[in-house]
Amino acid sequence: MAFFFQELVNGLTTGALYALVALGFSMVYGVLKLLNFAHGDLYMVGAFIGYFVIQWFGGPKGLTIPVPLLLLTMFVLAAVLVGGLGVAIERFAYRPLRNAPRIAPLITAIGISFFLENAALLLFGAQYRVYNTPDFISASSGITIGSVTIDSLQITVLVLGIALMLGLRQLVSRTKLGRQMRAVAADREAAEMLGINVNLTIALTFFIGSALAGVAGVMAGLLFNQVSNTIGFTAGLKAFTAAVVGGIGSLPGAVLGGLLIGLAESFIIGYVSSLYANLLVFGLLIAVMLVRPSGLLGQAQLQKV
Amino acid sequence: MKGSVIIAATTLGALVVAGCGSTSSGSGASGGTKSCVATIGLEGPFTGPVAPLGQEQLHFAQLALASDNTANHTKISLVQGDTMLNPAQATTVTQQFTSNSKIVAVAGPAGSQEVEAVGPLMARAGLAFISGSATAAVLTTGKYPTFFRVVSKDSVQGPQDARYIIANLHPKALMIVDDQEAYSTGLVSAMLPIFTAAGIKVDHESVSQKTTDFSSLTAKVTSATSVVVLPWQIAANAQQFGRNLAQQHKKAVIFGTDGLFSPGTFTISGSYVSSFGPDITAIPADAAIAAAAKAKYGSFGTFGPPVFAATHVIDEAIASVCKAGHTPSRSNVLAAIRKTSEPTSILGQPISFDSHGDVVNGKFFLFKISSAGKYQLIPG
Amino acid sequence: MSLDAQPPAGPAEAGPAEAGTAAAAGPQVGADEWVARQAGRREYLPSWLGEAQRGAERIGWWPRLAVAGLAGALLPLVGLGGFQLQVGIDALVIALLAVGLNIVVGWAGLLDLGYVAFFGFGAYGFALLSSNQIGPNGIHLPAYASVPAVMVGAAVFGLLVGLPSRRLIGDYLAIVTLFLGEAFVEFTNNVDPKTFGGPNGIVGIDAIRGFGHQLSTNTGYYYLLVIVLVATMAVLRLLETSRTGRAWRAVREDPLAAAAMTIPVNRVKLMAFAFGAMVAALAGTIFAAQQISVFPTDFDTPILILVYAGLILGGAGSIAGAATGALVVMVIYDGLLRSPADSGILFYGLIVLTLLVKLRPWRRLAGVVAATVALGFAAHAVVKAISASAVAGGPGSTGWIGSALRDWVIVPANPTVPGNWGFVLLICLLIALVQVQGRWRTILLVPVIYLASFVWETRLVTQPAITRQLMIGAILIVMMNSRPQGLLGTRRVETPT
Repeated sequence: MAFFFQELVNGLTTGALYALVALGFSMVYGVLKLLNFAHGDLYMVGAFIGYFVIQWFGGPKGLTIPVPLLLLTMFVLAAVLVGGLGVAIERFAYRPLRNAPRIAPLITAIGISFFLENAALLLFGAQYRVYNTPDFISASSGITIGSVTIDSLQITVLVLGIALMLGLRQLVSRTKLGRQMRAVAADREAAEMLGINVNLTIALTFFIGSALAGVAGVMAGLLFNQVSNTIGFTAGLKAFTAAVVGGIGSLPGAVLGGLLIGLAESFIIGYVSSLYANLLVFGLLIAVMLVRPSGLLGQAQLQKV
Repeated sequence: MKGSVIIAATTLGALVVAGCGSTSSGSGASGGTKSCVATIGLEGPFTGPVAPLGQEQLHFAQLALASDNTANHTKISLVQGDTMLNPAQATTVTQQFTSNSKIVAVAGPAGSQEVEAVGPLMARAGLAFISGSATAAVLTTGKYPTFFRVVSKDSVQGPQDARYIIANLHPKALMIVDDQEAYSTGLVSAMLPIFTAAGIKVDHESVSQKTTDFSSLTAKVTSATSVVVLPWQIAANAQQFGRNLAQQHKKAVIFGTDGLFSPGTFTISGSYVSSFGPDITAIPADAAIAAAAKAKYGSFGTFGPPVFAATHVIDEAIASVCKAGHTPSRSNVLAAIRKTSEPTSILGQPISFDSHGDVVNGKFFLFKISSAGKYQLIPG
Repeated sequence: MSLDAQPPAGPAEAGPAEAGTAAAAGPQVGADEWVARQAGRREYLPSWLGEAQRGAERIGWWPRLAVAGLAGALLPLVGLGGFQLQVGIDALVIALLAVGLNIVVGWAGLLDLGYVAFFGFGAYGFALLSSNQIGPNGIHLPAYASVPAVMVGAAVFGLLVGLPSRRLIGDYLAIVTLFLGEAFVEFTNNVDPKTFGGPNGIVGIDAIRGFGHQLSTNTGYYYLLVIVLVATMAVLRLLETSRTGRAWRAVREDPLAAAAMTIPVNRVKLMAFAFGAMVAALAGTIFAAQQISVFPTDFDTPILILVYAGLILGGAGSIAGAATGALVVMVIYDGLLRSPADSGILFYGLIVLTLLVKLRPWRRLAGVVAATVALGFAAHAVVKAISASAVAGGPGSTGWIGSALRDWVIVPANPTVPGNWGFVLLICLLIALVQVQGRWRTILLVPVIYLASFVWETRLVTQPAITRQLMIGAILIVMMNSRPQGLLGTRRVETPT
């Protein structure tokens, strides 16, 4: 039973991470109908920013500021810088293709993904950068219930993740910006005719989505310890998967999808087999898609006549 | 703007044809008739999934070349070929090298799969190629007459490590995890029979190299499991595995192989690392090289020094051909490499090759990580 | 509101801003594909170039295919070395894949992200039937038996994969096919290594042989691929102009209307998958025979990306476009960018080309060029006077480019860190360049060009492997921005969903 709970905790933590990245991905898809393959690389940039912040403040063994302040700086800086990068990318690469066939921005996104990954390789070098989190957040702190351990880092990730998701939900459903985002997602032309500044709304959506990816990147660095220029690819793939399985364009769906993938991975590795884990997770997700073709929480796609 | 695109395309095409007219050769130095001029190729995964390993190999190859050129008064230059650890790309890169008549020998490729893909091409071109990291046993069964390697093979390392574990760590149960790459599965298949024959309960798991979190796997480590064997290529993954073990208060000891040798990245105290390369920072003769590598490129692991050794073998072969008064060519460099007999090398051992291309008496070095995170060589 | 479906867009950085402002006009109410194509027809080049364009269009599809095929066949006679032949073979394989993917994506409008699995199926199928892998002595079928068998198997596989497409549309289908693509790699890597080879793959595959002959040289495979590609394109052209092709296009544009017109939508989709799978499997068999070995990593996502890039750059929906786009992408990525000398020519060539095409009138172009040259010499002299070590390094390029730039571009003795900062600054300036308009843009061009050359000489040219990836990414971005419908694609209007 303890094993079950351990796997549950692991699955929830990694699932929360996937959910954050999937949220940003889903937001961008909602307003632009664009599959942003470069989203995972924004996550990678966030992770690098977190690493450099640690180095700037003395490195993992010799921190010059208290740990909570360090974490706050890392998260805020990653959010702001990666958000800005996302806005720049949108302005530079996606805006001209707003009215092109849907498949054209796909290739642009792939080009940006190539470019970001290899720019990171060029600028930062190829060796793995390690956060060495145990040096400043003790690995033995945390809660232990029976033989199940949840360390303080996992708690931080879970709490922060939940807070961000709730905050986003408030933003989308209660604020003016959220209404504008929903309007643009529903019908861009009509939104423009109603006086909504579409360019600004899309830019802000990109900012928020990318900022979420940046924060997730820092969390990943803290949890998984190593950062290199290729971590974005797998993360982006998982985000894409989570967003679609949960129903594209649906934010609660993205969260659900992320958690589902995290839990599925955890339990399948734990209980079935680690060799066929990926295959089985894929199989599970295909089964979900076949049972609910529009995703778990997606709406059935209306076909306009 | 169809027109502009067409003009642009036509002009670009013309430029490209002009460019293709120039030989697709590397940056060969055109020296005088007295100096020894040659070009060698380096194949490796400089971008892509294992870029850290490939870049390390590249850096060490460049270091070797620079120091050999100075010491031997040669003018050897290097042409890089990025394979991204993909055998099909390795074929393309090899074609690039074999068509370039200036290239007389090749260091690399890094992966055993790539060696299998390019071996016949190299043999047809009579081009010698020395790998610093392809350890599959099947490569030196005579199929690839121009293949050499400076590191020992899986079929030696695997059983040696397995026997050490049984004799010194006395596990009743152990977990062995492969990372779904040929290097790893080769070692696992060499070790598994020895463990099962000794009556140890073995849990064989498998992860992909892209996995970043192992907490689900470490949850499966039982209290009876005292050793976890990780024949992986990526040290950072093993470090994360160790952290997950610590988080879940598991007491198992990690035993890793070459890929884990990375004093900057893998520092779980109490772990063992078996490497085909020594810790060059601990070898006095290598101090200068280690310092230069650290200063220029930062921390390094275990994949760089063997490529340094391979490049050095090639440089020495070319120098000896020049000293005998001939112009370096593929055939005489190949012959010179076969006759290599270096009393010492960066790897802390003499280098000579047997008839199949294996290094003679390749040693393995076993390290234990102290509580301060330092690698200590276990003698014998 | 103009009737043009898309605003004319030029290449490179100047394009996006103009396109951005024009595109703000939004999707065109009442416009349709015929109108969009008519608008494209009005964009001929002036004077004799336009005549040539119209003449080429009058020739007809089949003669153009014959000419292209002939050109491809005669190319080796110009004197291609082993490397260029290999690049040609790689490019032709990807072109064949793109042409097959065109059926699924371009004609039927189904976003299939697992297409490489069919390619792998073909390769592994051929490998299992033509090597020592199965049984004590292996199966060694001749090519005329194994290739059709594999293609039929792939068609069945394609039908199976297409079955979910009945319930899934758009991006949901994309994700399921993506899973299947990943699952294929996992399967061949981890499942039953004795039969499938595991990570070590299958080696020792026979060459293509039959009727007493055997292909053993790269030249032979090159010719085989040219013939197979031309034949496939011919067959697909017949398919395109048939009822099936029209049914596919109808289903792509509006499945509901197509169903109302008694087109069996599900069956049509399945046929698209089946045909696409067959073409991919054919490419796979030739690939396996030429490489003599297959490994799971040969069929991973990077190949998928290359095929898609080629297809969309060339124009999805057009057979010639798919083949051309794939050939261009592969020749650049796999051929030119692998050699530092050619990369340099491509880099500077693209800059010069962009200036030529975008800067009108001639006076402005001359002004920018003169200013850049002057800036370079002046900066070099000034910096040299201040600190000798700041210009101690020579330009990274060799040959005539290097010697021409020696006194023009500043290359410090330790180029790495300044090069990195220059790179970041260059990206920021490029983004700024897109934002500004008019005179300021022309003025900003001068330092940007100089900075680009600086970054190239200090940093990029010394890292050919990384530069290759950076340049292909940049080329993809710029080409999609300047011509979203692809080189040979037709303009389409998509109804917003």
